[in-house]
Amino acid sequence: MNCEEYWNDMAGPEPEEDFDAHLAACPSCAARWAAGRPVAAGLRLLAAEMKNVSAPPRVEAHLVRAYRERYRRSVPPAGEARRWWAAAAAVLLVAGALWTGVRQPPPSAVNSGLAAVAASEEEDAAFVPLPNAAGSPQDDDVDLVWVELPRSAVTALGMPAGDDSDAEGVEAEVLVGPDGMARAVRFLN
Amino acid sequence: MKPPEPDHQLFERLRAGQEQAFVALYHRRQPALYRFALQMSGSAPVAEDIVQEVFLALLREECGYDPERGSLVAYLFGIARKLLLRQFERRRLDVPVDTGGAEEGRFTEPVDASDPLADLAARERVEALRRAVSSLPRRYREVVVLCDLEEVDYAETAAALRCPIGTVRSRLHRARLMLAGKLREERHGGASIPAWKAARCAI
Repeated sequence: MNCEEYWNDMAGPEPEEDFDAHLAACPSCAARWAAGRPVAAGLRLLAAEMKNVSAPPRVEAHLVRAYRERYRRSVPPAGEARRWWAAAAAVLLVAGALWTGVRQPPPSAVNSGLAAVAASEEEDAAFVPLPNAAGSPQDDDVDLVWVELPRSAVTALGMPAGDDSDAEGVEAEVLVGPDGMARAVRFLN
Repeated sequence: MKPPEPDHQLFERLRAGQEQAFVALYHRRQPALYRFALQMSGSAPVAEDIVQEVFLALLREECGYDPERGSLVAYLFGIARKLLLRQFERRRLDVPVDTGGAEEGRFTEPVDASDPLADLAARERVEALRRAVSSLPRRYREVVVLCDLEEVDYAETAAALRCPIGTVRSRLHRARLMLAGKLREERHGGASIPAWKAARCAI
């Protein structure tokens, strides 16, 4: 085995047995091999120092979102499905409650979640509790759903419908509880 | 103790829509891929992009990984390397601090077998070595990062780089000698003896 064969065939961190003979017989290669050893040791130190370096959490978050997008496109997450069902239910319930002309005094105490959301709003329009919201369980887990309602819904709640009564509908936000029941409504225009 | 689930099984499960398998594989393989990309590019944002792209590649329909043809580790590093090469071409990131003609096969050969790191403090040694690694030409840097820093075995490194295992070995040894030379230069203010003609790899 000549020097070239030696280095081309064996350049691992430690000499293998078959190659020991060449090192023993060749001072030049032995010196070269020995010169590489401390570097290998230094590289181990460097590797240990970098051991905890890894990608920031945002990379994982992005990838998990991409994974869900790729593999769960046909099955939306539970929260999203609930939101859509809640939106549909909200329209039906608000419209139904108002159509029947049920007039009850507003509940004296709106549940805490509703109150928290309402309190956080800085706009003038306040959420009006719906008749069927009375006695709803106290919870903070409410969804805010945008809907469009017939203008008659405004008057049904005893509010002024405005001058443009010919307009097709009014935009409203509805608070929907985790049970899918609409709790309160706020008209946006 | 239960042995860790093999990569290829995690891969199969993640392709079947099991998010936990995807997350588990990410946690297992991401750090080394990130460090590899970081060492090769010298840029944290680029390293982030590379890691992201590597794992996104696993989600694609035409992912192309075949467990029969090799390990997932080699496949992942192979993709990372391909993306890095693309980055280098686009942004010309691969500008070593000092190639010293090494890409042409010339490098500093140690004059003697004394430890070039001997009189540097441990911290300085590591920093000097880090600088030396990042100044290596790309083909040598990648084998050092994979084999010495990330402890990827030679066969998997060869698969990732798509070259024979002998090439990995010879590049690795040459890279270590270059590093020793660079450290010696740093220690002695630049005296070096160019020698040894390195064999060029076809890749």
